Amino acid sequence: MVLRLKSRQKDALSYLYDHYSGALYGAILRIIIKEEVAEETLQDVFLKIWDNIDSYDPAKGKLFTWMLNIARNQAIDKTRSKEISKGKKTDDIDNLVNRIDRNAYSELFVESIGLNEVLAGLPHDQKFVVEYLYLKGYTQSELAEEFAIPLGTIKTRLRMALIELRTLLKVN
Amino acid sequence: MNIKEYISTGKLEAYALGELSMTEMKEVENNLAKYPELRMEFAQVEQTLEAFMMEAAVAPRKELKDRILARAEDSKKVKVIPLNSKSSYWHWRWVAAASIVITLISSFLAYDYRDKWLKTTIAMNQIIDQNQQIAQNYNEVNQKLDKIEQDFAVIESTSFTKVILNGTEHAPTAFASIYWNADSQETYLSIQSLKEISRDNQFQLWAIVEGKPVDMGVFDGQFSGLLKMKNIAAAQAFAITIEPRGGKKSPTMETMQVIGTLAKG
Repeated sequence: MVLRLKSRQKDALSYLYDHYSGALYGAILRIIIKEEVAEETLQDVFLKIWDNIDSYDPAKGKLFTWMLNIARNQAIDKTRSKEISKGKKTDDIDNLVNRIDRNAYSELFVESIGLNEVLAGLPHDQKFVVEYLYLKGYTQSELAEEFAIPLGTIKTRLRMALIELRTLLKVN
Repeated sequence: MNIKEYISTGKLEAYALGELSMTEMKEVENNLAKYPELRMEFAQVEQTLEAFMMEAAVAPRKELKDRILARAEDSKKVKVIPLNSKSSYWHWRWVAAASIVITLISSFLAYDYRDKWLKTTIAMNQIIDQNQQIAQNYNEVNQKLDKIEQDFAVIESTSFTKVILNGTEHAPTAFASIYWNADSQETYLSIQSLKEISRDNQFQLWAIVEGKPVDMGVFDGQFSGLLKMKNIAAAQAFAITIEPRGGKKSPTMETMQVIGTLAKG
């Protein structure tokens, strides 16, 4: 698969899109909220994957992990560039409004898909960490700062959550 | 290294989200390469993340796929642009190189032509000078020829009477001639031999009319051909004396060089 991608075969990209566009778009949309911007970002992400496939090293991890990080970074960059473009003085307020928007919409997404069931299986503090880190595009240090949780705590909570998710998602 | 402890720090999860610093990232990558146990754990982190994100998937609108694939196709063409821009960069380099060469050539030609032009101008000025010299010489020759022709006409003419002036006792070798036209009263002098005199003095020609000397004009010794003197209606003899420059009203008899009388009839 990776080899076919690296030789820039169009059907390889098509296959990749069919399999991963949903997961990547889900990640992007939860960070960006606005559909048209999210669609634009998804396009940017696939072009980036297509153009930079040579820099992907299978020895360092799965293709999905690589793609997800591209998508997350692209989406986060997009929200930041929007915030920056509004100017520094109103930055904090915009940031806050943006976060509130994101929270409101994210609740909807979580409820709208069957993910709720999975998340419900997690203890509350683990669910919180997974939501913010995996779905809302927060970095660990952002989350630590915004909710005054020690970074180490966030790391271990995520660790615990992932162990729970393994059984919930039936990962061997 | 305690693998279990390392795993429990949550570094692998952070690594999977690309949230580690460069040094931490390198550290995790080194450890993953070293410890198979760590690799297995990381594979599980990745799989869980993927499974969770799959669960959280949101299908994008159907139209998006064609658009994105078309753009990806374009981006292959777009990839050609760096080559194009590179070749256009080379293209411009060639243009720049060519213009430098052209500038050098034109500068050289300009210099060369200017040099040639200067040399030509100098040569042309020399030719113009020579031409003027030749023209001047021609004019001089022409004037001399005219003079000779005029003189010759006088000498040849039957209207002119030739008077031979022979040297006196003061200047036995002196010799001159007078051509006199009785009708037109014109008088011409021709010197065959007269001694050199100082610049303070001049020769003076006299006509003897009924025993009295009449001034016919002064002249310097050196000339060729005929010299037109004053007109005279009638004369019995002609004589040349040496007088102070400008001449005198009456001749100094002691300095008389030549004298000749008109043959009668």
